[in-house]
This record gives sequence, structure tokens and C-alpha cells, in this order.
Amino acid sequence: MNDLALKLGFVPLLDAAGLVIAEAKGFFAAEGLNVELVREVSWATIRDKMALGALDGAQMLAPMPLAMTLGVAGDPVEMVAPIMLGSGGATVTTASRLGLAGDRSGEKLARLVALRRGAQASELTFGVVFPFSTHNYLLRLWMARGGVDPDTEVRITVAPPPRMAELLAGGVVEGFCAGQPWSAAAVAAGVGEVAARADDIAPGAPDKVFTVTRVFADARAGVLTSMLRALDRALAWAEAMDNRAELAAILARPEYVGVPAEVLAEGLGDLTLHRGGAARPDPAHGAWLLEQMVRSGQIGVRADAADVAARVLSPALYDAAVA
Amino acid sequence: MRVLVIDPDSARAALVAEGLAGVEPLEVRHAAAYDEAEAAAFAPDVVVVAAESPDRDTIDSLREASIANPRPVVMFVDRSEPELAQAAVRAGVAAYVVDGLAPGRVRAVLEVAMSRFSLMHQLRRDLEKARADLASRPTIEKAKALLMKERTLDEDAAYRLLRKLSMDSGRPLAAVAADLLAFAGVLKGDAG
Repeated sequence: MNDLALKLGFVPLLDAAGLVIAEAKGFFAAEGLNVELVREVSWATIRDKMALGALDGAQMLAPMPLAMTLGVAGDPVEMVAPIMLGSGGATVTTASRLGLAGDRSGEKLARLVALRRGAQASELTFGVVFPFSTHNYLLRLWMARGGVDPDTEVRITVAPPPRMAELLAGGVVEGFCAGQPWSAAAVAAGVGEVAARADDIAPGAPDKVFTVTRVFADARAGVLTSMLRALDRALAWAEAMDNRAELAAILARPEYVGVPAEVLAEGLGDLTLHRGGAARPDPAHGAWLLEQMVRSGQIGVRADAADVAARVLSPALYDAAVA
Repeated sequence: MRVLVIDPDSARAALVAEGLAGVEPLEVRHAAAYDEAEAAAFAPDVVVVAAESPDRDTIDSLREASIANPRPVVMFVDRSEPELAQAAVRAGVAAYVVDGLAPGRVRAVLEVAMSRFSLMHQLRRDLEKARADLASRPTIEKAKALLMKERTLDEDAAYRLLRKLSMDSGRPLAAVAADLLAFAGVLKGDAG
């Protein structure tokens, strides 16, 4: 093979499973693909490298390809998300001393916010992983459900997921919304409680996607088809209960997630990778994400929203590859 | 110059301090991880962060939020990826700088980052002002029409009167126009 290796970026999280397994279990090789997985620690770096062509493809937070296509926070780059890498697992975790365990309706939060306002206490601070993340939108929806205005009544800040438990313990944030295993870590450390899970707030909300630029998708359609087939098989393999122990062991390796397998195994239960057609992109998911971006004030109302959602999250490439 | 260096390794902070020797006054602060309260208290002129730092997303979100006190950010990337730094600088994505930087270049790099940042900041403010001007145009048009009708002025004279009111009160044209319309409404009993 004289092709240069395809460079695919991932962030060490459970839902890197599709990419990790496609490499580790030989699904990429079986398609004749020469792939190099590149581990990145931040979404901003993934975004910049994709925009500059330093990566051929990458795992991204589901709203990111939409934000890049729309040119929000940066020059516009047309992106496509031809396969979903996972949903579920995001969890609103709050400091134990707040007593918000199991507050799915957000009512306890609303009472607490009103109480603190009456006492002229400082506003509560919550951490999310990135502004353009399903975690941010789920947190805001949970607050709004209880009648709390996320823009004026609390503060939302960005922090790296591995530091969330420490920030919670130190009182820097009173709560956070992040994927596993970071909620489990805070609970295990005795500093946090689960207030609500993704499935309580917006069941099936897309969390991570695999992305390439539109330019790549057009220029290397054959390669992309092979990648999608390999990823789809890897996701199906990772979803199978019989493979979960091996999956945790592979993800635990230092070159992948680098967290002990026991901790990883705990978070895997919340994750949906392939069942029920979960890997197939759905323009309705794109429309939902754009709606959340509008609600959060990240973009204005756009007449072409449905069109953008249909372009970025079109199932056409997936259907052609997997059918 | 106040410089905040976010890096688990303290070597880079030492290099930055060495490169800036002779700049007066100078304070280089090194932190292993980003701390919002600490950063706000220190109020740096420029933030230097390793591109492989897990705090990158936090700092990125600060840069992009057009809220209070945005700061120029200089990112150091790994020596193994010099093409990325060059491409990033050309594309204006961020002030990426390749590692292995000689102390002699630190000052120039930070100064370029700061001047580029203030240029971008100015452009953004100009854009926002242009947007606001566009949004306020209907208000000004309505106020002008009101003056033309009530004071039987021609369009030019109505505009000059608005300008004079704006200058005399030291308030933006759009604000004066909005007040005028509000008062007219009250006088007619609209907003009783």
C-alpha cells in the first residue's frame, strides 16, 4: 500500500470506542485501510486540525460539525457527519451538599436558586466540556425544565472533564454535565450525586459523531465508504454485551483512554453505540442541535437551518456504505 | 507586561521569562492548570498555553466568548508538527507557535500575538457597531419622519436636528431617536 496513513483524531473517552475498536480489532485493516489514530486532549485542537487538514477525520461533539459549517467561532468549513459514534452517558452531577440527587424535573434546583437569590448568595456555577456540546444543551434544558434561566440565574463555564470531580470537591463548580466515567468518578469520590441523566432530559440526543470535511468526502468517496463500513462493524462489535469486558480492556490501554478497565466498565452501561440504528445519521438530530444552538444564543434563527441539518447529518453516505 | 503561562511543566515559563528579560515592568506567572479566579485577579496581557494542555478548551471558550476581558492567547504546539503551526498562523486560527523556540524570539512572538489580537478585537467591535447601526436605522428613519411631519422640515433638516440633539446630549443618534418616538407616543397617549 503506497497510500499515506489516514490520520483520524480521537479524544480519550468511552465513545471513542468505534474508532479504537476499528483499529484494535482490525476492522480498518479488513477494508484495506491504513489508519493512524491520533489522540488529542481538547476539542478545540480537533476542530483546528480538521479545519487545517492536519487530520483526515475525527471524533467530534455532535454540534461541532454544524458550528463549523455555519462558521460560528471561526471561518466556515463545510463538514459532514456520516456516522454517529454514540449517545447517552452524559450526566448532570451536582455537589452532594446541595441535595439535588434524582432531581430530574429541575424543581429542587429552582427552589435552591430562589433560596440563594433571597439570601443574596452568589449564583451557582456549572461546568460543561465545550460550548458546542450536547452536554451544554442538556444542562440548559434540565435547568429550563425547573424554571431556571441558564443565562441569568446561574453561571456556565468550560472545564476539562478529568478535572470536574476535583473542581466539584474544591467548590469551584457546584455541578457539571459530562460523559462517563467522569460522573462516576465524582460519585465514587463521595463529592457528587447524579441529578439527571441524558435519557431523563432528551432521550436519544446525539452525543458524538465521526466527521470529515465536505472536501474530503467528495475527493475520497471510496475511502470514506470503507471507513464507514469498518466503523459500523466496530460499533456493532462494541455494543454486543459479550464483548464488553474485552472492550473495556482495550479502551483501558494507555494509548487509548488510559483509565482502569473497572472504571470504564461502569460507564459503558449508559452508552448506546449501535443498537436500534443508532449509528445512522438523522437530519432530525441536526435540527434538534441547531434549535439548541439558537436557544443558547450561539446562533440566530436561520432560514436555512433545515437545509444545513440535512446536509451535515445526511444518512445517504451511511446507507450507501452499509446497505 | 503580564504573562500567564499555563503548562504542567515549568520549563516553558522559565523560557518565556528569559526571553522577556529587559521588558519593564514584567511579571510572568506560571500555573500548572487554568484557574479562573486566579487568572481574573492577575489580569494578564497575554496567555501562553501548550496546545496539548487539557485546559485548551477552557481557554478557547474564553477567547471566543465576546464577554468581558478577552485575552490574546499564544499556543505552543509540539515540535513534531511544525506544518500545523504554519498553516494555523496563515489561516489566522490562532497564534500557534512551534516549540523549541529560542528565548530571543519570545518577545517578538508575544508582541505579534498581542497586536494581532487587538486588531481582531477592533474589527469585531467595528462589525458589532455596524450591525447595531443597521438595526437602529428604522428607528432613526421613523424619528426623522416624525420631525418632518410635526415640524414641517425637509428630510435634511430633520436629520440635522437629530444630529444636534445627539451631540448636545452626548448620546447616540439611535438613542435620541428612540426617546423622541417614545415621547411622541406618550404625548399622543399611546404609552399611557
